Amino acid sequence: MSLQYGQVIAYLPDFLAGAWLSLQIASLAFVMGLVIGLFGAAVLTYGGPLARAPIRAYVSFCTNTPQLVQIFFLFFALPDMGIILSPYVAVLIGMTLNAGAYLTEIQRAGFQSIQRAEIDAAETLGFSRLQLVRYVVAPHIIRTLYPGLSNQYIIMMLGTSMAAIFGVEELTARALNANAVTFRSIEIFSLTALIYIGLTIIASALLYALGRVLFRVKARAF
Amino acid sequence: MGIIAGLMEEAPRFFTYWNMLFLANAALNTLLVSFIGCLAGYALGFTIATFRLPQITPVAPVRGALILYVEAIRRIPFLVLLMCVFFGFQLSGVQASLFLIAVTAVALRMSALSAENVRAGYEAVHERQWDAALTMNIPPLTALFRIVLPQSWRVILPPSTIHTVSMIKETSLVSQIGFLELTFSARMLTQRGFSALICYGTVLVLYFVISYAFSAAGRYAERKLVHQARAVRTPVLPA
Repeated sequence: MSLQYGQVIAYLPDFLAGAWLSLQIASLAFVMGLVIGLFGAAVLTYGGPLARAPIRAYVSFCTNTPQLVQIFFLFFALPDMGIILSPYVAVLIGMTLNAGAYLTEIQRAGFQSIQRAEIDAAETLGFSRLQLVRYVVAPHIIRTLYPGLSNQYIIMMLGTSMAAIFGVEELTARALNANAVTFRSIEIFSLTALIYIGLTIIASALLYALGRVLFRVKARAF
Repeated sequence: MGIIAGLMEEAPRFFTYWNMLFLANAALNTLLVSFIGCLAGYALGFTIATFRLPQITPVAPVRGALILYVEAIRRIPFLVLLMCVFFGFQLSGVQASLFLIAVTAVALRMSALSAENVRAGYEAVHERQWDAALTMNIPPLTALFRIVLPQSWRVILPPSTIHTVSMIKETSLVSQIGFLELTFSARMLTQRGFSALICYGTVLVLYFVISYAFSAAGRYAERKLVHQARAVRTPVLPA
């Protein structure tokens, strides 16, 4: 029983390239999920009962089933219907749909946090609709939502690891491959874990700084 | 409408007594891994959060080590954590069953999540209460159990049910080491020649039912809890 990292360190550049892909998948899915979530939250807040029902069903379904099984379904069951997705696309769609559901819930809280009185005050002061959104509603929403959104982003960065199961060459997949070649299992996976820890700490710090500078969000970073 | 016709044709072959028994057994495994892992994780997380209190542990390096543990575990994907546990057991030479490996991974992840959660609960109680208790020579652990904890439960419990439900969903990754839970059972059924549509569809529905039931139970308990706390407090308020 001895740990030997020599052979494993050689894989570091390969792992970091994988981490870059993880970052891309998480960011892409996050941005697309944000758009779905914005739409969903707007419908849930302002829509009629007929429009709300399908959004409710979508959110309820996606948040109550495992993301892994959702992607399995997209990847293995859709071909039965004649839709064949590449692993990368299946993972991306799966993560986006899943994130969209959670981001709907998060952003709905933001919509609900707007007070009628705030809008009335702005209208009394003669703000145009655009100014109202730009100076009153948007800053308020962003400040309320920012901690939840950055938390969701970190969760999604960790969630990308399941892309490995479908053969997308991100960090975890590269670790599994290196493991199959070198059999230095514990060394490889501890290194992988360290990279994920570093990656998410950097992301948390950046998100914190960004929130502080751009939106003056005063929230705990970690 | 070839898909619907196909499903109609396949359903009687799929929903047989033995297949349902197989799925029920897999669902039970999912629940067992989640619950035993979560219970162990809660116990560990509670201990960690407690020893992170400066009132309990005056030694700063110990607290630092605990913070490091929580921050590290929280930032490792469950799949990677699972692999670490899997190969960690291998390295240590202990003959561990797949169940034990899965439970250990769940417990580790849950310990970090619940440690944060319990800490938030402790922080909801004002520090002055600690000061007052310690000034009156109440031993720290007594102060914790008699003064702080009774007030923190309301903050600690609601996120706990959310974490438990998300852990149930995350145990789907345990299928990757070959433990026979719901996700793995779907894979096995597809290998027996059933269509992926019906296998993964059924398993998705089962997960949904489990998760939805627990979320609903959690929300109910939360309402009760808040209600009870109000009921207790009302007489104290001045008329």
